[in-house]
Amino acid sequence: MVVKGNHDFKVSREQLWIYLMDPIVLAKITPGVSRLEIIGEDKFKSVSEIKIGPVKASFTGKLKVVDKDQPASFVIKMEQLSRIGNAHVSVQMNIEEKEGGIAALAFDGKADLSGVIARTGQRVLSGVANVITREVFSALEKHIEENKQTVESEESIQSMKTIKPPELEDPIDPAINSIG
Amino acid sequence: MTKYIGKSVKRVEDKRFITGQGKYTDDIKMPGMVYAYILRSPYAHATVNSINIDAAKSAEGVVAIYTGADIPEAIAGVPCGWQVNFKNGDIMKEPPHPLLVRKKVRHVGDGVAIIIADTRANAKDASELVDVDYDLHDAVTDPKAAAQPGAPLVHADAPNNIAFDWQLGNPKEEVAAALASAAHVTELDFVNQRMIPNAMEPRSAIGHYDTAYDKYTLYTSTQNPHLTRLLMCAFVLGLPEHKVRVVGPDVGGGFGSKIFHYIEEALVVWCSKQIELPIKWTCDRSEAFLTDAHGRDHVTNAKMGFDADGKIVALQANTFANMGAYLSTFAPAVPTYLHGTLLQGLYTTPKINVDVTATFTHTNAVDAYRGAGRPEATFLLERLIDLAALEMEMDPTELRFKNFIPAFDGVEQEGYVTQVALQYDSGNYAPVLTRALEMVGYEAFREEQKNQKGDKLLGIGFSTYVEACGIAPSAVVGALGARAGLFESAQVRVQPTGKVSVYTGSHSHGQGHETTFAQVVADRMGIPLEDVEIIHGDSDSVAFGMGTYGSRSLAVGGSAIVKSIDKVLEKGAKIAAHLLEASTDDLDYAEGKWTVKGTDKSVGFGDVSLTAYVPHNYPEGLEPGLDFSSFYDPANFTYPFGAHVAIVEIDKETGFTKLKRFIAVDDVGNVINPMIVDGQIHGGLAQGIGQAMLEGAIYDETGQLINGSYMDYCMPRADDFPSFEVDRTVTPCPHNPLGVKGAGEAGCIGSTPAVVNAVIDALWKGGHKVKDVKMPMTPERVWTAMQG
Repeated sequence: MVVKGNHDFKVSREQLWIYLMDPIVLAKITPGVSRLEIIGEDKFKSVSEIKIGPVKASFTGKLKVVDKDQPASFVIKMEQLSRIGNAHVSVQMNIEEKEGGIAALAFDGKADLSGVIARTGQRVLSGVANVITREVFSALEKHIEENKQTVESEESIQSMKTIKPPELEDPIDPAINSIG
Repeated sequence: MTKYIGKSVKRVEDKRFITGQGKYTDDIKMPGMVYAYILRSPYAHATVNSINIDAAKSAEGVVAIYTGADIPEAIAGVPCGWQVNFKNGDIMKEPPHPLLVRKKVRHVGDGVAIIIADTRANAKDASELVDVDYDLHDAVTDPKAAAQPGAPLVHADAPNNIAFDWQLGNPKEEVAAALASAAHVTELDFVNQRMIPNAMEPRSAIGHYDTAYDKYTLYTSTQNPHLTRLLMCAFVLGLPEHKVRVVGPDVGGGFGSKIFHYIEEALVVWCSKQIELPIKWTCDRSEAFLTDAHGRDHVTNAKMGFDADGKIVALQANTFANMGAYLSTFAPAVPTYLHGTLLQGLYTTPKINVDVTATFTHTNAVDAYRGAGRPEATFLLERLIDLAALEMEMDPTELRFKNFIPAFDGVEQEGYVTQVALQYDSGNYAPVLTRALEMVGYEAFREEQKNQKGDKLLGIGFSTYVEACGIAPSAVVGALGARAGLFESAQVRVQPTGKVSVYTGSHSHGQGHETTFAQVVADRMGIPLEDVEIIHGDSDSVAFGMGTYGSRSLAVGGSAIVKSIDKVLEKGAKIAAHLLEASTDDLDYAEGKWTVKGTDKSVGFGDVSLTAYVPHNYPEGLEPGLDFSSFYDPANFTYPFGAHVAIVEIDKETGFTKLKRFIAVDDVGNVINPMIVDGQIHGGLAQGIGQAMLEGAIYDETGQLINGSYMDYCMPRADDFPSFEVDRTVTPCPHNPLGVKGAGEAGCIGSTPAVVNAVIDALWKGGHKVKDVKMPMTPERVWTAMQG
C-alpha cells in the first residue's frame, strides 16, 4: 500500500523539524495513540487503538527515525502488530522551505500489510491511511497554532529540544534494529 | 425399456439438504471432543526465529499446543501423488510439505502451531498469545518472475524455483519451421488467473484415536476418503491402514479443492493420538481463502499458424505454471497431462509442441480446480482461433468448421490419435456448433451487430472444446506419473428381501450420485428406485475407492456398479433357473423377474434373493448369498465436447460488460438424468463465466492475498447471468457399458474463452483492435482497452 501526500505548515522548517522529532507532540496528535515511549535514540514503542469501519484493534509497535538530515529529510520506519494483522511501514519525509515562512512537508512511502487487514478491505485502506495522515497533520498544525498563541516564543520549542530520553528500565530490544 | 435412465428424477438427497438435515463433518459431535485452531503465518516468506507458547498454554481452556518442533522428524509432511520428470529425466523437485513448519514459512497461511482447547473460541483466543518471532524475506508470487535469475527462492534445493520443466508433442524445430512458413501466425500473451474454489462448506476434519480399540477415525470434508487414508497411513503418519477409518460424510462442494490430502487431516489424527481425545478442526472462510488449494495461474505465450486457406498448420504453447509453495496432491498433473495433452482440441493441427515450466512461489498451493488443466488448454486454443479469425477477417465459426476433426464413433471409425499423446474415444464436432448457431440466430445477430448505434457495443464469442474425463485407466495414468491407480470399485449387495445396497468408491459432494446411480441400478435390475440405497464415503463400509474428480464418477464408478449388477443377475439367473426347473439359457430377465421364454412361468427378484439367503432349495455347488464386488478400470479416458457462445454488450462510457446471452451445447455421451446434467452445466458455466468477468485471487508483491474475503473477492451472483440456454447432442462413449462421458466440468471448461472472445469481438467491431483484455474483465480494464 502506497502512502503519499503533502502538507504545508506555517512555521520554518527548523521549527517543524523540532515538532516532528518530539514524541510527546507526536503522541498527542496521532489518532488512537495512547502511549509513545522512548526506548532509545530516535526509537519509540507505541500502543494505539485504531478503528476502521467495524474493525477495532489495538496495535503495539515500534517506530524509529533514521537517515536524519536536519532539517530537510528523514525516514520513519514502523512495525505495528495486532491480532488483525501487522503493518511494516517505511516513509520518506522531505521538508522544503516555501515562501512566506512555510514549511512544506512531503511524504512518500509504503506500508506492507499482513494478516486480516491485508486480505480484507485493503482496497479501501489507502483511503483510510490518507484520512489518518490528514488528521495527524491537521492536529499538528493546530498544535503549532496553539503553541504560538500560548507561548509566542521560541523558548518552549527550544526547551523541547532538550528533552532527554528517560532512563530505560529494560535494555533496548535488539529486534528494533531489524525493523524494515 | 428404461423406466429411470434418461428421466429427470428429482434428487433423493435434496430432502435432507434443503431441510437443513445434511450431516457434514462439522455437525458431528463426540463426547469429550476438543477443538483445534491453527495459527498461520501472516507472512509469505520468513524465518521463524522462535515460538513462545508459554502464555498461550495457560490460557483458559487450552488442552495442548504443538509446533513444528513437536512433530517427529519421521513425519516429513504430506506427499505429492503425481510425479512429473524434468525434460532431462530428473525427478521433479518435491520439497517436503510439513504438517507445521519448523524453520521457514513459505506462504501466508503456512501452519505454525496447532492450539487445542475446550472450545473453538478459546483455541482461537489462545492463539493470539502465541508469540512468533519472524525474520522477513522478499517474496515472489508470479510463476514467470519466479523462474528469473535472482528471484527469492522458495526452496533452497529448487534452483530458479523450478519444480520441473516438461514438453510434449512434435519436436520444437518442426513446429517452428511450420510456423515460419505459415501464411498467418496469431500470437498471444495471456494470463489464466488464479482462482479460489470457494466450496460452500469450509474444510473440516475430526481426528479420533480410540484407545479401547486402538483405532483411528478421521472424519473429513473430502472428495476422496480412501486415497486420503492411503496417503495419510502409508506416506505421512505411518499408521496401519486396517486400523484407520476415514469417513467423508455429506460434503458441501469441492470443485477439486477437496480431492487432496491436507496437513490438517493428518494433524488432527496425530494430535488425537497424543491427547487421546477427539479433536475437531473447522476452518473459517478466511482460512479457506488462504489454504484451500487454488486453481489455474498460468502465464502463457502461444502461437498458432495458418495456411492461406485458414487451415491450422502448427501450434507452439509455452506456459509458466504456478505450483505455489508446495506440490499439492495432483498439482504436477494439471499443467502437464491434463493441459498439454488437450492442445489438439477438436482441430486437425498437424504440428503441436507444448512446453511447461512449473515454478514454486510464495503463495498457497495450486492444484485441480473444476476442469483442471482443460480450461487452460481450451482458453489457449479458443482465444487464439477467435483472434486469428479477427486478424484474418474470417468468420470465427467458418474457421472452426474448416479445422474440425471429421466425425468418428470409435466403433466403425477408429478413435482419433492426437499429436499430444491421446486417442479420443468418439467425437462429432460440427453438429454442436451448428446447433449452437441455430439457437443463437447467428446471421440475425451479425446483422444487428453491423447496424448497432448508440452507446453500446455488441459482441459475440465462441468456444468449442474437447476435454478428457473419467480419469483412468490405471496403466495409462501410471505411465504418465500417477502414483495411484485410477480405477473404481463397487459392491452390489442384494439383501434377502430384494432390497439393494450399493457401495461405491465414488464420493458425492453435490453431484447427486444417490439419485443417478440409483437410476442406473433400478433400471438395470428392473426394481423400484426406492429399493436402492447408494452408500459412499466410509472406508469401513466401502471396499475401496478413488473418489470423485475429473468427471469420473458415472463413467468409471457407474461402470463398476454395472459390472457388479451383471454378476448379481448372472447368479440370480442360476437360482431362478433352479426354482423354475429350467435352463438359464431359456430365461429372460425383465421388470424384476425371470421368465421362461414363451411361457408365463416366472420367478421374481425378491424370491430369488430370499432363496439366495435361505438356500433350502438351491442349485448344487452354488454359494449362498447375492453380493458382488467389482473393480472397473476403463480402457481410455472419455472425451466430451461442446460449443459455447456468449453475447455481450459493453457500455462505451463505463466499460461495464453485460452478458446478454449464453448458449451451451454439450455432448457428454448418454445422459442418465438430464436435470442433473443441466445443473452441472449451469454450475460450471457460473464458475467459468465468473473467471472471465469477476473472480481472481490477487497477491501483492509481498505475497499477501489482498482479496481474501467475500467483501473483496468477487463471487458471481445469480443476477450476473442471463438464463442459460443449454442443449445437447449425444455421441456415446464406445468403451464403457453406459456410454457416458462425464458432465461435471464441461460448463467450466468451455465457457471462459467464449466470454472473453465476445468482449474482444465487441471491441474490434467498435474499432478497438486489442488482442486481449485481462481477466477478470472489470469495467476498468474494458474501458482502458477502449481508450487505446
